[in-house]
Amino acid sequence: MRVAIAEDSVLLREGIARLLDDAGIDVVAQSADADDLLLKVRSYSPDVAIVDIRLPPTHSDEGMRAALEIRSKHPEVAVLVLSQYVELGLALTLLADSAEGVGYLLKDRISDVDEFVAALRRVADGGSALDPIIVSTLVSRERPGDPLAQLTPREREVLELMAGGSSNQGIADSLVITVRAVEKYVSSIFTKLGLPSTGSESRRVLAVLTFLRS
Amino acid sequence: MATAMPSHVAAPESPRVWWGVVPAAALAAAAAAASVAFALAAGNPDVLQVFLLEWVGVPYIVAGLVAWWRRPQSGLGPLLVAGGLASAFSGWQLADSAGAYTVGAAFDIVPAALFLHVCLAFPDGRLRSRFEGALVGVAYAAAIGLQVVKMTLGGVDPANLIEVSRQAGVVAAVEDVQLLMLTAACLAGLVVLVRRRHGRPGRRSLGIVITSFEVALVMIALLFTMATFDWPGFHEVQRVTLFMMGLAPIVFLVGLLDARLARSSIGDLILELRREPAAPDLRKALANALRDPSLDLAYWLPDFQTYVDLHGRPVKLPDDPDRTATLIERNGRHVAALLHDRALGDERQLLEAAGAAAGMSLENARLQAELRARVEELSGSRARLIDAGQRERQRLERNLHDGAQQRLIALSLRLSMLEKRLPADAALKQELDTARHEIALSLEELRDVARGIHPAVLSGHGLTVAIESLAARAPLPVRLALDVPGRLPERVEVAAYYVVSEGLANVAKHARAASATVSLDQQRGRLLVEVVDDGVGGADTEGGSGLRGLADRVEALEGHLRVWTPRGGGTRVQAEIPCA
Repeated sequence: MRVAIAEDSVLLREGIARLLDDAGIDVVAQSADADDLLLKVRSYSPDVAIVDIRLPPTHSDEGMRAALEIRSKHPEVAVLVLSQYVELGLALTLLADSAEGVGYLLKDRISDVDEFVAALRRVADGGSALDPIIVSTLVSRERPGDPLAQLTPREREVLELMAGGSSNQGIADSLVITVRAVEKYVSSIFTKLGLPSTGSESRRVLAVLTFLRS
Repeated sequence: MATAMPSHVAAPESPRVWWGVVPAAALAAAAAAASVAFALAAGNPDVLQVFLLEWVGVPYIVAGLVAWWRRPQSGLGPLLVAGGLASAFSGWQLADSAGAYTVGAAFDIVPAALFLHVCLAFPDGRLRSRFEGALVGVAYAAAIGLQVVKMTLGGVDPANLIEVSRQAGVVAAVEDVQLLMLTAACLAGLVVLVRRRHGRPGRRSLGIVITSFEVALVMIALLFTMATFDWPGFHEVQRVTLFMMGLAPIVFLVGLLDARLARSSIGDLILELRREPAAPDLRKALANALRDPSLDLAYWLPDFQTYVDLHGRPVKLPDDPDRTATLIERNGRHVAALLHDRALGDERQLLEAAGAAAGMSLENARLQAELRARVEELSGSRARLIDAGQRERQRLERNLHDGAQQRLIALSLRLSMLEKRLPADAALKQELDTARHEIALSLEELRDVARGIHPAVLSGHGLTVAIESLAARAPLPVRLALDVPGRLPERVEVAAYYVVSEGLANVAKHARAASATVSLDQQRGRLLVEVVDDGVGGADTEGGSGLRGLADRVEALEGHLRVWTPRGGGTRVQAEIPCA
C-alpha cells in the first residue's frame, strides 16, 4: 500500500510516517501544505492520502478542501482526514456523495496503532472509517418515539461499528463472534429500522448515517 | 484643524473708503455729463442712443459706488465703476471735437470686455481660475489692442487723431478677428456661469443677477456675430443688448437691497428661536434668515478636534472656491461653523448677527451633536473590543491546537511505538496503557477547553457546518432550517454561533422541551437567527441565563436580540444582525 501524508506539524508527520513504515506500509510522499499534497498525489498516485484538516496558510479549511478535491479529481485515491475535532457537519460534507474510500478520524486515533492501520487499510480498500465519537453522538441522540429503543444492546453495538465503517469481518473480530452471527444482527437491525438492505458495506454506512441524522 | 477664520470684518464707515469712492464718483459724474453734453452739442442727436448709453453707464456707476462703499474689500465696486466709466467714454464718439471723438472711438467696445469681466468676477470681484483670467485677457486684448490697431489704419469715420494711413482691407480683417474673439470670449464666459450655477443652490437674489448676466452675454455674442457677417437688424439688437447690459447692475442693486432685507429677517430668526429654543431644524431657519438655501452647519467638538454634523458624523470644512465657512463663537468659545455660499461672505455683519441670534440654539445643537458623536464612538469601541477579544480567543485556540494538543498526540504515539518494541511484559504494558489513557483524557479535556475558547470549525468551515455540529451535540432533537449560502463576515458568524450555542444550552438546562428548532435566514442584508423550543417558557431573561452577554454581542454589531418566553408557551430567542 502506498500512502501520502499531509500534516504541518513535523513531529506528527514524522511520527505517522514511522508508524506506517513499521507496519510495512510504503510512505511515498510527505507534505506540509495542501498545494504540495495535491501536486504529489498527481505525481505519485498513492492508494490513500492522509490529510490533516487544518493546513497552512490560514489553518482554516485548506485540508478539507484538498480532501474534497482529491475525492472529485482522483476518485481512485482514498482519503483519510485527520482532525483534532470531529464535527458531524464535516463528516456529512465529506461523505456527501459516497462513503467509499473515505475516512474521518480524530487525530488521537493514530496512537492506537493497530486500529489506525486497520482503518487506513479499510479506507484504501474502498471502505470507510468514521470516528466513533460521531457515531456515538448520533446514536445517543434522543428521538421522538426512538426507533433505536427496539434494538437489543448487542444490536446497538453492531449498529455503531457498522456506522463507523467496519466490515462484517471487522465487527466479528471486535465483538468476538462469528461473521455469520454478525450477518444475522445486521439483517435484524435493517428490518427493525425499516431500512432497505444494501449489498455494499460502504453504502450501508451512508444509509445508517442518514437514518441516524434524521 | 485649520479653519477659515473671518479674515476681514467690514467697517463701511471707515474713512479710507471715501478716498476711493469720492473721486471715483466725481470722475464718473463728469464723464457721464460730458458724454450727454457732447451728444446734445453735436446737433440732431439720436435721443434713444444717448439714453441707452446713459442707461448702461449710470446704473453701473451707481451700483459700483454703492458696492464699493458697502463692501470696500470686494473688488467688484471699482470694477463696476470702471464699466460705467468706459460706457460714458464710449459715448464721446458723438462729440464734434476730434480729441473727445478719438477717446470715444477707442472706448467703443471696451464696455463689452468690462462687462464680461464683471460677469465672471461677480459677486466678490475676484476671478476664480486661470482660465477665467485668460478669457478676460483675450476680451481686453481684442477690445482695446485691436481697436487701437484699427484706428491707426483708418478704421473709423471720420478720421481720428491717431490715424496713420487708410487700409480698408486690413481693417475689415482686423475687425472680423476682433469681433470673433469677443464673441468666443462671451460664449466661453456664458459656459463658465452656467456650469458654476450647476453646483449647488446659491442665494436666490444672486441667481437672478447671474441670469441677467447670462442673457446679456448671449446678446453681446449675437450682436458681434451679426456685425461680423453684416446681418440685417444690427441696430435693433444693439438696443436690446444695451438694455440687457444696463439691467444687470439694476438687478444687482436690488440684490444689495435684498441683503439689507435679510438683516431684518434676523429679527424673525430671533423670534422663531425664542419660541422654540431647540429648533428642530436650525439649519433651515438660518438658511431662510440668510437667504442661502445651500447653507449648512458644522459643530465644533473640542475633545475630538473636529467638526461634525448634527448626527455626530465628522464633517470637513469646504475647500470649494464657491463655499466659505464662518466661525461662530459664544462666550469666547468656538461653537460651530456656518458653511455657506461665498457670496454671503461679503455680508459679515449679517452673518455675525445671525450667529449671535442663534448662539443659544447652536450651543444646544452642538451638545446634541457631541452626545451623538460620543455614542458613535462608544459603540465603535465596543465593537472593536469584542473583535479584539475574538481575535485573542482565536489565537489562544490556535496555540492550544498547534502546541499542547499536537505534542500530547505525538507523545501518545511514541508510547505506542515504544510498547511495540518492548518484550511482552503484562505489567509494563498495563502501565503504558494507563499512561496513554491519561493522555487521551487530557486531550479530551483540552478539546473541550479549546472549543469553549473558540469553535475552530466555525472559522474553518462556516456557520452551517458549525451549527450542524451544535445540533448533533444537543441532548434533544433539533430541527435545522439553515438558509445561508456561503460565508458571512466573521463577527456576524461568531455572534450567530453564540446565539445558537447559548440558546440550545438554555433549552437543555431550563426549558424541559421535547424538541427545538434552529433557523438561519439571510434577507436584505440582515441575518435572522432563531432558536425556538416547545418547553415550559417563562425563562429568566435577567439572571444568569447568559442572555445579557448575548445581547451585548449582538448589539455591538448594531443588531437586536429579542426573547419571547410566555409561561407554558415555549421560548423563542431571536437575533437580527446586519450582515451587509
